[in-house]
Amino acid sequence: MTTSATNAESGHVDIAADRVAKIYAQAIIEAGEAAGCRPEVIAELATLARDVLPKVPEAATVFASPKVTPEEKDRIIDRVAGGRMKPTTTNALHVLARHGRLGMLGAVVDAAERLADERDGRQQAVFTTAIPLDSAEQARIVADTEKALSATLKPRFVVDPAVIGGLVVRVGDTIYDQSVATGLARLGGRLQQRNIHAIQTGEYSWHT
Amino acid sequence: MAHLTDEIASVLREEISRFQSGIDVREVGRVLEVGDGIARVWGLSGVMAGEMVEFPGGITGLAFNLEENSVGVIILGDYLKVTEGDEVKSTGRLLSVPVGDAVIGRVLDPLGNPLDGKGPVVSELRRPVETLAPGVAERSPVREPLQTGIKAVDAMTPIGRGQRELIIGDRKTGKTAIGIDAIINQKNSGVKCFYVAVGQKDSSVAVAIDTLRKYGAMDYTTVIVAGASVAAPLQYIAPYSGTAMAEHFMVNGQHALIVYDDLSKQATAYRQLSLLMRRPPGREAYPGDVFYAHSRLLERSAKLSKELGGGSLTSLPIIETLEGEVSAYIPTNVISITDGQIYLQPDLFFAGQRPAMNAGISVSRVGGAAQTKAMKKVAGGLRLDLASFRELEAFAQLGTDLDAATQQRLDRGYRMVELLKQGQFAPMDVVDQVLSIYAGTRGHLDEVKRDEVADWEKGFLTFVRDQVPELRKRVDESKELDAESERQLEAAIAEYKRQRAAHAGGGKQLAGAR
Repeated sequence: MTTSATNAESGHVDIAADRVAKIYAQAIIEAGEAAGCRPEVIAELATLARDVLPKVPEAATVFASPKVTPEEKDRIIDRVAGGRMKPTTTNALHVLARHGRLGMLGAVVDAAERLADERDGRQQAVFTTAIPLDSAEQARIVADTEKALSATLKPRFVVDPAVIGGLVVRVGDTIYDQSVATGLARLGGRLQQRNIHAIQTGEYSWHT
Repeated sequence: MAHLTDEIASVLREEISRFQSGIDVREVGRVLEVGDGIARVWGLSGVMAGEMVEFPGGITGLAFNLEENSVGVIILGDYLKVTEGDEVKSTGRLLSVPVGDAVIGRVLDPLGNPLDGKGPVVSELRRPVETLAPGVAERSPVREPLQTGIKAVDAMTPIGRGQRELIIGDRKTGKTAIGIDAIINQKNSGVKCFYVAVGQKDSSVAVAIDTLRKYGAMDYTTVIVAGASVAAPLQYIAPYSGTAMAEHFMVNGQHALIVYDDLSKQATAYRQLSLLMRRPPGREAYPGDVFYAHSRLLERSAKLSKELGGGSLTSLPIIETLEGEVSAYIPTNVISITDGQIYLQPDLFFAGQRPAMNAGISVSRVGGAAQTKAMKKVAGGLRLDLASFRELEAFAQLGTDLDAATQQRLDRGYRMVELLKQGQFAPMDVVDQVLSIYAGTRGHLDEVKRDEVADWEKGFLTFVRDQVPELRKRVDESKELDAESERQLEAAIAEYKRQRAAHAGGGKQLAGAR
C-alpha cells in the first residue's frame, strides 16, 4: 500500500512526457519479465525515484541536467547501483541516461507501475475519507469494493476533511462517491431547483 | 414573516427527510489547459465522441477530439470560469435542446436558454442537437409550395416544402431581407419558422427580431442567437440546435422553415475550433470535414413520407460571398449541397432592383414541381426571358440601332424588371403574384411607362380585389388558370385599362379646366 501520490494525481500532467515515459516503462517491464525479476526492478526504480532522490535534491538536478554528459551519468549510476541493484535495473538506468531521459525517472516509474498493474489485472484505487481509517477498516473496505466491482484493486488511502463524511472511491477515471459533501451539494441543488420552480409557477406567496 | 419561516422550514424538513446518501457514480477527468473556448482534459477515458461533459458550475462541454492521452473539449458557455485542474464529469448523454411549442415566440441561445427575459423555457420535450437525417425510404418528393411572398422568388426560383434553397450574395445585398420576408409571409400558413443568427452583430439581430415582432411573425417564430461576441463553440452548434427545434415539428407532421443566417460565419467558427484543436487545416485553412459539417446539417431538411406524417422542414441557408466570388471554398460547397440558389448582386441592388436577384444564375432544382399550376402557367420561361433580356440590354447599351422585334423584347424586359421589384416586408399573396405576372408576361404593360409600372400594378390588384372578386376567388381556390379564368382576366385587364385611361384623362381635363 503505497502512499505517495503519482504525478497525475497530484495535479501535474505533462502529456508529452507521459507518452515518452510509457514507452520506456514498457521496455523496462518487458526486460524485467524476460529476466524474471519484474517486481524487483520496479521496486528498485521506485525506491530510487521516490526515496533516494528527494533526499538528495542535487542528484535529481544532475540526473536531469543536459550539461552532465551521458558518460558522467553512467559513472554515477555504476557507483550508485552497481552490485546493489539487479543488472536489469542498472541497465534500465543506463538506457535512460544515454537517451537523456534520466530526468523523467519519476514519470517512468509511475507509468511502469500502472502498466504492471494493468498486466496483472489490478486496478489502482484511491479511497478518500474524512478521517484516517485503521487497517482493519481499510481491509474491509477494500474487500467489499473488490467484491462489488469484481476486480483486483491496488488501494491507496487519502484523508481529506473536505468530504465531511462517507467515502469516495476512485477507480481509474470512475468515481464512486458516497460522501456527505456531495450529498449536501445535491440537496442544495435540489432546494434551489425547487424554489426556482415554485417561484415560476407562483406557488409561493412570500410577499405577504 | 412567521408564515414565511414556517414555509421554508417545512420545505427544508421535507428535503432533508429525502436526503439519502445514494452513491454518485461519475467518470471524471481533469482540465490540463483551457482557452479560446476549448479545453484539453486528462482522463475521461470512457468518454465518447460528441458526448456532453460537465465542468464545475454547470458549464457544459462537448467531447470533440479523442486522443491517445487526452480529450479535446469545446466549452459551450463561459470558458473564462473554467480553470486548469478543474474536475470534468462525463454525463453519458448527448447534447440536447428543449423543443416543442414552448420554444415558439422565444429568443434563445444555442443551448435553449432564454435571451429574451421572458423566463425559462418550460418543456418536457428535448431533442438531441445532432441527429441523423431521414433516409431515402422516409422521404417523399417535394411537391407542396412554400410561398415566400416575393414575386421574383416565387415566380422564377420557386421553393417547395422540404427544399434547401441557398441565398448567396455579397454583404449588403438583401440576403437577410429575403429570409425575413419569407418568415413574415408564413403568417397564416401554419408553417413554424426558425431564424438562426450565427456570428451576426447583435444590433442586426435586434433589428431582425424587432421587425419580426412588428409584423406579428414572432407568434410562430423562434430566434436562435449566437452573436459575434459569443465563443466559437456556440456559433458552431447554433445551426444544429435550431434544426433540432425545427425537426420536432417536421416529425410531428407539421411544416417548418429555418433560415440560417449565415453559414459562412458558422464555417469560420468551426475553422477556429478545428485549428485550436490542432486538426489539420485544408483549403482556405478550413478543416477537412467542413463539407460534412454543412451537408449533414442541410440533409436534415426533408419532406417526410405520408407514413411518417408528411411533415417538412424547408431551409434557407445564407452564404456571404466576398466580391461576388462564388468559387471560394464554402460557397461552392454549399451550392453543391443545396437544391438551388438565389444569387443576389450588388450592382442590381444599387441599380434599384430589389430584391437584387440575378435571374440568369439563380435556380431552383426541385421547386418547379411545387409551383401551383397557375403560377407555372404565367411564369414559365420568365427566368430565361429575363436572363436573355439582361444580355440584350448590355448589347443595346452599345447604341446600335435595333430592329422592332428586339426593341419590343427590350421594352418587355424593362417592364418585367419593374414588375418584379418589391418593397421589403411587403410579401404578396400568390394569387396577386399570378395576376400581375400574367399582365406583365402577356404584354399588357408594354405601353405603360416604366416608372408607372408599380403604380399600375397596385391599382390593378386593388381593382381586381374590389371589382372582380369572383375571378380572384376562382384562381385562389382552383390554384389554376383555366381558359375561363384567363378569359375573365383578359376582360378585367381591358376594363382596368379603360378605367385608368378615363381617370388619367379626367384628371388632365380637370387640371386643364382650372
